[in-house]
Amino acid sequence: MKILKIFEEGFQTTNKRLKMVIYLWLINFVFSVLIITPVYFLIKKDLSRSLMSDQIIKGTGLLWIGDIFYKYQDLLPALAGWFLIPAILFILLYIFLYGGIIGRIAAQNEKINLTSFLSDCSTYFSPFLRVFLISLVAYLVVFGGIHNAICALFDLWKKSASTEWPLILSSILDFLILVLLFSIVRMFFDYVRVRLVVEKSKKAIRATLLNVAFIGKRFFKAWFLYLLVVLIAAIFGIVYFAVYQPLPNIGVLLIAGFIWQQIYVLSRMWTKILFYSTEYHFFNLNKE
Amino acid sequence: MKKKKSFIKFLFFILTLSFIGPGVMLGEKRISNVRYEIWVELDDQNKMLHGKENITWLNNTRDDVQDMWFHLYYNAFKNEKSTTIQESKEEWFGAFGIKIKEGRWGWVDVTSIKLADGADLKPTMEFITQDKPVHPGDQTVMRVLFPEPVKPGEEVHLQLEFESKIPRSIHRSSYYQNSYFIAQWFPKPGVYEEGKGWNCHEYHLNSEFYADFAQFTVHIAVPEDFVVGASGKQIKAVPDMEKKTVTYTFYQDNIHDFAWTADPDFIKVERDFVADDEISPEEYEEVARMLQLPLEEVKLPDVKMILLIEPEHKSQIDRHFKALRMAIKYYGLWYGPYPYETVTMVDPPFRTSSGGMEYPTLFTAGTAILRSKKVLSPEGVIIHEFGHGYWYGLCANNEFEEAWLDEGINTYSEGKVTAIAYGPGAMPMSFQRIPLSWFCKLPEYYNYELERAAALHVVELDPITTISWKFYDRGSYGLNVYMRASTCLYTLEGLVGEEMMLRILRTFQMRFRYKHPRTQDFIDVVNEVTGRDLNWFFEELFFSTLNFDYGISSVASKEKKTYARGVFDVEGRKEEITSKNIKKMEKEDKKSDDKKFYITEVKVRRFGEARVRGDTVIKLKVVFEDDSEEIINWRGQERWKKFTFEKPSKAKYAQIDPDNIWLIDSNLTNNSLKRKPSRKGIFKVAAELLFLIQNYLQCVASMS
Repeated sequence: MKILKIFEEGFQTTNKRLKMVIYLWLINFVFSVLIITPVYFLIKKDLSRSLMSDQIIKGTGLLWIGDIFYKYQDLLPALAGWFLIPAILFILLYIFLYGGIIGRIAAQNEKINLTSFLSDCSTYFSPFLRVFLISLVAYLVVFGGIHNAICALFDLWKKSASTEWPLILSSILDFLILVLLFSIVRMFFDYVRVRLVVEKSKKAIRATLLNVAFIGKRFFKAWFLYLLVVLIAAIFGIVYFAVYQPLPNIGVLLIAGFIWQQIYVLSRMWTKILFYSTEYHFFNLNKE
Repeated sequence: MKKKKSFIKFLFFILTLSFIGPGVMLGEKRISNVRYEIWVELDDQNKMLHGKENITWLNNTRDDVQDMWFHLYYNAFKNEKSTTIQESKEEWFGAFGIKIKEGRWGWVDVTSIKLADGADLKPTMEFITQDKPVHPGDQTVMRVLFPEPVKPGEEVHLQLEFESKIPRSIHRSSYYQNSYFIAQWFPKPGVYEEGKGWNCHEYHLNSEFYADFAQFTVHIAVPEDFVVGASGKQIKAVPDMEKKTVTYTFYQDNIHDFAWTADPDFIKVERDFVADDEISPEEYEEVARMLQLPLEEVKLPDVKMILLIEPEHKSQIDRHFKALRMAIKYYGLWYGPYPYETVTMVDPPFRTSSGGMEYPTLFTAGTAILRSKKVLSPEGVIIHEFGHGYWYGLCANNEFEEAWLDEGINTYSEGKVTAIAYGPGAMPMSFQRIPLSWFCKLPEYYNYELERAAALHVVELDPITTISWKFYDRGSYGLNVYMRASTCLYTLEGLVGEEMMLRILRTFQMRFRYKHPRTQDFIDVVNEVTGRDLNWFFEELFFSTLNFDYGISSVASKEKKTYARGVFDVEGRKEEITSKNIKKMEKEDKKSDDKKFYITEVKVRRFGEARVRGDTVIKLKVVFEDDSEEIINWRGQERWKKFTFEKPSKAKYAQIDPDNIWLIDSNLTNNSLKRKPSRKGIFKVAAELLFLIQNYLQCVASMS
């Protein structure tokens, strides 16, 4: 019951911080536009004057996709690099943004403006970067160690299989375990960040160590709350697909489809803030 | 007197039989020059086969034959010196090749080989490695010498004994737990070619098989609880209470290989393909019209369909039979009636690596427990492998040397049958073995679209007609002989028309049934049926590595100018026309009712090296804003050519190959060019890409 109450508080806090949703969406949008711009011009050059561009409206066609792949096959490795470098930059950017997100959630009575948001971003960038580096070690231990050990057990099961069923089940279980392990690590370091902001501290290692005891004592409650938000995110995804899939690619509906996609991206930003809002309230309620 | 007459008749019958040789029945046209009787016992405990084999081989050539070469295919899995494993290691440094774990090797030992008169041939036995590059340790080809040459028209009778260790989960033929798929398992003579000798290649990584048509009688002894399926028709099942085994006898004439499978878990289902239920009189009439054949010649016989399926795939029994019915129907109608009484479809036993493979009158399909109905699998593989009964089974080309003749033609045929029977299929995408099409709408495509997209990448690597083991790599082999060959055949269809293409393939199939056609035979049929010389088509697209790409490089329209600036001789004097003069004159012209005219210039280019030849031309269509059209035929020899049109309206677009004949064209996008760009499609692609990147970045951000 308490968890649902915290969830409700987080929900209300998130809705009071909608400006941040817009900030995050804008950053994501601009960054994405920068990445696809060269690809866009390539496609425009090849397709905008071809009758083949009419096929695109009808749906994914292997004829024109085949042409593009064949023509730019040598560019594919470069394209992979083109997607990788912005990804790394985006990770750094988000480490920066988390300070603003949590900082503004914590400043409940203050209004949000870009200056205060960026000020929090810069205040917490350095400790959050350290948290990120510590989290990499944790990911390595969890996925390289624990997950691999579980996989080895699955392999034993698969090795003696007489039908495909063990392969299917182990594959699904493996994925579920992967998601759950990821959610645990992710949640753990979310609380480390929340702690740093609430305590206005910059000591990442200390916060991490303290957080072991904090999460250890109330792991299932914290995890349940976290998974509740995951469920919300999943529902958004399902709703998005349910509406977008049957949308015909004609006239004004093309624009409607694009707007719907952006609404979904906004929902993802909103969920991101909901994660931190609920974690903030949970932390405040249980801090010792 | 009556008795004497009967005796003479009987004597004549016997003489005729002995003259014609083995495997040939009176009243039939030809066919088998080899007769096998094989007794094989499956040792489930030790994963061994113990076999005895009687071979009768007829020398139907004009040569004296001194020796006999045999395939011992199982030795491909004997050790790392075999050609197959060597080739697998050579490619990609063995990264993706065949890796056999210790204790899983397979081999075949010929323990005895004698002539029927008792002459022992074993002392003359040796292994041959002649394919270049040589792999000296290979033991997949064996030769024995005869004490006397076999004269033309003579038969030789051999008696062999052999022991085989079945390889574990490797390549086509293997076992897993107590499930078996047994193929290429018995010592098998190569094909003796008159004037050339034995055509008997090693077992190569990138190659399939080649053998003479034969009559098979095979007795398979297995533990009593096993369900057995095999090539041909089961004629006997004799239980042995003491040994707790059952010996199944299968018989089939006019086939060139024999495979079998045994698994205690198989569910065996039999259904009939009843031609009259499947094909309406109107369909028969339509096909007869298209093929220009009498109605009687396109009528199909009934066929017994046998399915051996694993229990976990039981819910897909109807899917399997529907696909097989469609295949029997359309291959039968288009290419010729299926001539055997039975066809056995095997759902390959788990982990036997035997899926998607063809053997005469038997083939393996391949499915998974979780399958979406929108994805045409197992349908595609069933249609393809059944189709090999025609292209390989009946038209028995040498797969070592000209694999495209069966793989290419069959990939094309499969695409045609799948399209008519099912329409487009969804992309076979899954996540953690769960089909994604259960949750969202996946792009749908016809086989030819995917084949073309794949084929483009190997055009410049190898000619389609390359010998199987001499391709650049496994990818080039696969994409060239399957995808590119099929795409070229779709192109040929575009060039000659769909009905003509049907007549070509029908003629080729029926003329070369029970024979070993070569590429030239196919080309000859194409030329004969179409009445055109299309040798160039094969030279450009099959025998070479030339890229085919015609396109439009520019299209522009401008108003036709009546007046020009400068100094002109007018009635013996110099008169200068200035811009000002022109403007004035044009203003006056506007007042009159004269229409404006536009000059449209279209430049076409031959971007690729391949070119059309003979009577073939490249069609250029120019569509104008008033919806009028101009069609021009370009011979397509030059690198580029400019076409000019004077019309009362500007061009809307120019399009080369508007009938979409040249599917093999490596850039269909440049086949058309609009004068003004349109952004709708680009917006859609850009929006989809943007959304993809936005979500990608969000996922990446979760790691921070």
